[in-house]
Amino acid sequence: MTHRFDTGARRVFAGLLLAFAIAPAAQAHKASDAYLTLRMDGDLIEQRLDIALRDLDRDLALDADDNGELRWGEVRGRWPEIERLADAGVQLAAEGRECHVVARAAPQIDEHTDGRYAVLQRSWRCNGPVGAVSVDYRLFQRSDATHRGMARVIGGAQLGDGQSAVLEPGAAPRRFVLGAGQPHAASQHAPSSFLGFVAEGAHHIAIGLDHVLFLVTLLMVAVWRRSGGAWVPRDGVGPVLGETLRLVTAFTAAHSITLGLAAFGVLSPPSRWVESLIAASVLIAALDNLWPFVPGPRWTMAACFGLVHGFGFAGPLQDLGLQRGALAMPLLGFNLGVELGQLAIVALLLPVAFVLRDGRFYRQGVVRLGSLAIAGTAAVWVVERGLDLNLMP
Amino acid sequence: MNAIHLTAIVMLSLGAGTSLAAPRTPANDDEIVQRLPYRLDATARAQRAQLASRPQQLSLALDTARQAIDRARRHGDPRELGLAQAALAPWWSLPAPPPAVRLLRATILQSQHAFDASLKDLDVLARGAPDIPVALQAQAGLTRASVLQVTGRLAEAGEACGHLQAAPFTALGAPLALAARACSAELQSLQGRPREAEAALALLARDAHADTWLALVRAELAERRGDDTAAEARWREALTGGGDIYTRAAHADWLLDRHREAEVLKRLTPLDDEIDALLLRRAIALHRVHDPAAPAAAQTLQARFDAAMQRGETTHAREQARLALDVQGRAAAALVLAQANWAQQKEPADALLLLRAALAAGQPDAAEPVRRLVRQRGWSDVRLAALDRSLQP
Repeated sequence: MTHRFDTGARRVFAGLLLAFAIAPAAQAHKASDAYLTLRMDGDLIEQRLDIALRDLDRDLALDADDNGELRWGEVRGRWPEIERLADAGVQLAAEGRECHVVARAAPQIDEHTDGRYAVLQRSWRCNGPVGAVSVDYRLFQRSDATHRGMARVIGGAQLGDGQSAVLEPGAAPRRFVLGAGQPHAASQHAPSSFLGFVAEGAHHIAIGLDHVLFLVTLLMVAVWRRSGGAWVPRDGVGPVLGETLRLVTAFTAAHSITLGLAAFGVLSPPSRWVESLIAASVLIAALDNLWPFVPGPRWTMAACFGLVHGFGFAGPLQDLGLQRGALAMPLLGFNLGVELGQLAIVALLLPVAFVLRDGRFYRQGVVRLGSLAIAGTAAVWVVERGLDLNLMP
Repeated sequence: MNAIHLTAIVMLSLGAGTSLAAPRTPANDDEIVQRLPYRLDATARAQRAQLASRPQQLSLALDTARQAIDRARRHGDPRELGLAQAALAPWWSLPAPPPAVRLLRATILQSQHAFDASLKDLDVLARGAPDIPVALQAQAGLTRASVLQVTGRLAEAGEACGHLQAAPFTALGAPLALAARACSAELQSLQGRPREAEAALALLARDAHADTWLALVRAELAERRGDDTAAEARWREALTGGGDIYTRAAHADWLLDRHREAEVLKRLTPLDDEIDALLLRRAIALHRVHDPAAPAAAQTLQARFDAAMQRGETTHAREQARLALDVQGRAAAALVLAQANWAQQKEPADALLLLRAALAAGQPDAAEPVRRLVRQRGWSDVRLAALDRSLQP
């Protein structure tokens, strides 16, 4: 038995130098684990994280009266701190998607083999079906070197048992791919070629409804100009193309700046604020179509809000798990993809708008109704994203 | 442990997994959700906070780690080893850390059954460079002897103990001399000279009054010699003041060998169930007396082993094999586990376990490596001798 000599040795050296001994091999239970389960179903991710109460007490001193008995009230009262610790310890990134927490379950506990655990459940909604998710696990990285995260990723109700992994705090993010029927581990992260990043960027525009709606809102009235608080059609192709060029250039230049700043880690505003502001930008642009109230030429608005949208583009680029040192190529490719996506929207929309710009149908049916619908949608987004609610199905 | 054994163990523990039972919200704030009898006290918390702000301060880190290791030994909680390792994080991966860090690293590693890595560090310390304090060398020597003994390298272990009885260690006085001589005597007893060893230990015991550790060494020797009367008396001495986890478990084994289940159940109560080693002995006793609580105890134990396996831990093979062999009646599985355990640890208890499992599984050939080693090294143990006879073709 390993500890016998050491028990002797402890007595030997008490008072001499070393007041320590070896742990007996007879151990009370296993070392520390947390249990992470991700249930992925289309654009929804259900996350469950079980953290041992004894571990939480070590880091957060939950047992306020220090009587060695943790009461539920002592846990429940500190739940926001437990949530924060969990948020910092487990970071999810759905590849090519932006996800928001749309629901959090009430504080709960569950039983595991070495005691009770706090159960934190939340639902994420992403802006499209999730094909791959990476988990950056850092729980208790500084306090317990033998802590591990027991991860299980389950891909949708129709799929198999899913995949398990033992996550070491502070190791590289672990990526899970939902493949043919089952998620499987993958070591490759981002696309490797320039064209791959271009495709990612274009894809992001195509699925990012908020970006598309903002562009559509601006372009709808690019065939018009303001005159005394009202919209009047522009004369001829030249002025229309000029306005479109100004809008797209201003938006592009602005979002390129913030995308670059965010990608290189210079600025990283909280995503909830970014997403809320993006929603607000769509709302303001749509209202401005209905009742022009934003002063100055339209391209200044495109530039201002372009700054916000750039931070929004940075999220999915970061989710690709890139190295900070090798960002130039992906950044350029991704941005080019975004531009190509925008140009495609311009090419689809502008000719129709140009032809119809004088008619009553365009004014009432397209711009008025369209802007109203967009404003309504954007208003719901603002509330949802700002307050972390889930209003739309 | 080799890969085949590891795979075998993992296969045997199939069905392990995160139990995703329904979590619940306690109805009452006063409900006790977790007992924390060994939660960190204010002093330990203050020290950890101090270290968190100055993680590079060596003396603070060493002291924090030592206290965690000491708690791990007293409470049998392996989490504390993770805390100790985390405290030593700045030096943990260095090829040549300061000697005091190296000693603690070796201590933690051997507690996690990483015997080879532990010995590497202990070998360096035992070589005795001038910058290593003599007391630290002595502690390293004792720890090294115990690791060598556990891994079956008895001759080297004996040398290590002998080394500690000469200069410069004699200057450290009587306490070290006692530990070193007892260590030598025990190794002598394992290598065919039990009578001389017992005489030497009796002499030491006369000088060191009421030393429970020495009583434990002598109780185990009496057990190997088949001297029940002496063993009974020595166990009583060793358990003065309650006894530590190892002593209580070893004593329970001695009682179980004599079919004194009622006494085991008197000494080990449900209050001890948190400690795997004690619950195992209680489960065996309950099973033997056909107590209705036996299946539940076995299930709890199995669930704990499964949870440990899930995180890749293989330090429970000895206890797992006992559960399979003595409670679950799964002789074949027990044999695989006993073999995996034998690859790690080679103490008389490990040899005994493998021989019993081979006999129960009807695979006497599997016992051959152990029988050969026992004969070669001249281990003297009446229990092994009896099994050896029953295995004779």
